[in-house]
Amino acid sequence: MQSPHARRLVSLLSRLPGVGEKTAQRYLLFLLTAERQLADDLGRELTVLRDRLVPCEKCGNVAEVSDVGASLCDICADNKRDSRLLCVVARVHDLMAIERAGSMRGRYFVLGKLLSPLEGVGPEDLPIEKLVTRVREDGVEEIIVATPPSVEGEATALLVKRELGPTGVAISRIASGVPHGGDLEFADPITMGRALQGRQRL
Amino acid sequence: MFIERVSLRAIRNLRSIDFAPGPRFNVISGENGQGKTSLLEGIYLAATSRSFRTSRLQELILHGEAIASSKLVVSQDGGSHEQSLGIQAAGGARQARVDGKRPPSLAAFAVKTPMVVFHPGEVALSTGPSGERRRLLDRVVLHTAFTKMAEQIAYTRAMRERQEALETRGERATDLEEWETLMVSHGLAVCEARRDASERLSHVAEHAFHRIASPSLVLRVRYLTNVPETEDAYRHLLAASRGRDRARKSVAIGPHRDDLVLEVDGHAARQVASQGQHRAIVLSLKAAEIDVIHAARGVRPVLLLDDVSSELDRARTQALVSFLGEQRGQVFLTTTRPELIESEGLGGGSDRHDFRVERGVLSVAQG
Repeated sequence: MQSPHARRLVSLLSRLPGVGEKTAQRYLLFLLTAERQLADDLGRELTVLRDRLVPCEKCGNVAEVSDVGASLCDICADNKRDSRLLCVVARVHDLMAIERAGSMRGRYFVLGKLLSPLEGVGPEDLPIEKLVTRVREDGVEEIIVATPPSVEGEATALLVKRELGPTGVAISRIASGVPHGGDLEFADPITMGRALQGRQRL
Repeated sequence: MFIERVSLRAIRNLRSIDFAPGPRFNVISGENGQGKTSLLEGIYLAATSRSFRTSRLQELILHGEAIASSKLVVSQDGGSHEQSLGIQAAGGARQARVDGKRPPSLAAFAVKTPMVVFHPGEVALSTGPSGERRRLLDRVVLHTAFTKMAEQIAYTRAMRERQEALETRGERATDLEEWETLMVSHGLAVCEARRDASERLSHVAEHAFHRIASPSLVLRVRYLTNVPETEDAYRHLLAASRGRDRARKSVAIGPHRDDLVLEVDGHAARQVASQGQHRAIVLSLKAAEIDVIHAARGVRPVLLLDDVSSELDRARTQALVSFLGEQRGQVFLTTTRPELIESEGLGGGSDRHDFRVERGVLSVAQG
């Protein structure tokens, strides 16, 4: 593709995660041959994206910019949610995964990253103070720490537990175990080990 | 269980090798420097994702090639599976596949086809530093307590995170407690798995040594760790060693310092054993490794024996010969003197397949 315009768009698209140069070219050709409306709409949405969407001021989830008052995400703005229950996650992706399950009736707090000195992330790089303030001011009674079951996820969970200790809030950690609906024989041995360790009384 | 096909590409001086070994004794002969050991190294690579010669896998790639790879077809329980490992020259990344699919982890890959190697450098198990003996324990843990491998990975990661926090932010770093908590829980799990592996090994090895060396000599094999037994004691010790760990840029306490202590008649083998006794110790440990893996997995591990000719000085290593005669699984053996193997009456008849390696090319030897 020789056109400088085409080259520019391909190189921009291929900076997106999971998109290589070939996929970027496919996108470009598709946008050129599909209905014109698609390219126009996409362009318009992208130009205003960063003005319209910001991190939620309370939890870090994606939120629409508000002209009046604080910019809050749907979940923080939803007053049917139980404000006494707060789920702490590492990333917005994790929040979305939990939301898809549909069984979380409380609200969220997105840390943005996990504790990892090797990757240059220390405790002071995490919004711990903001979390403590949130717990105190919103009358949170229970915290569910839903960081991933990696070493960094566990260390972050331990840090959250220690920092929130003085607030007296109840803290639990999500369980880890075998997936629903599958046969036990297909569970990998490590997950199976965790499932046995975290067994519950019938 | 046995390997029914081996395909190697660009491994050291072996540009391209494809052959079908026999299910029992495979004798690979050739002069020194022709590629016999590299052939075993290639087989070991596709079974374990490692080399027994080096920890820098890029060294294995034939000069000028972008990728080296090894593929095995393994027959087991009436079926067969294919497992392969590729190494990239750029970056040295390993790519493991089982039947074309990516395994969940390298440990899950390495556990598929149990394999035990015995080569001349292995005398370091008895004479050398603790690293080789820890690796022996961990190979046993892989096959006897697979899930504990994750504990070891987690322990190492937590240890490195804590050390980084200590070195960049000092002893006042506020997250040291969290990392140490994880080091303690994972570290104790590692110790438990290794202690169990050591107990399994020691019983067989001590018995084998009694037979191999001399009935009057007693070998003792025991696990040694500087990790305290209780969580609290371990945690206190770690917290107390922050300053020293920071200054020395390494962690003083932990399973990464473990050892398997070898004693002959109550004295450290490294100090008192003769060359012949060291070899007997290594042979005993290897016999134990094979036995313990066999007992745990219910299949006989594939045995790789490198450079048997150098070991076969008759007076002292009758033991190796009788040991070989006892092997009932698949064996790959390299030697410069195939006639010697013959004269010892090993794996005669249709059980034995002979191959020859010359300048990196393998051929079926004419009997």
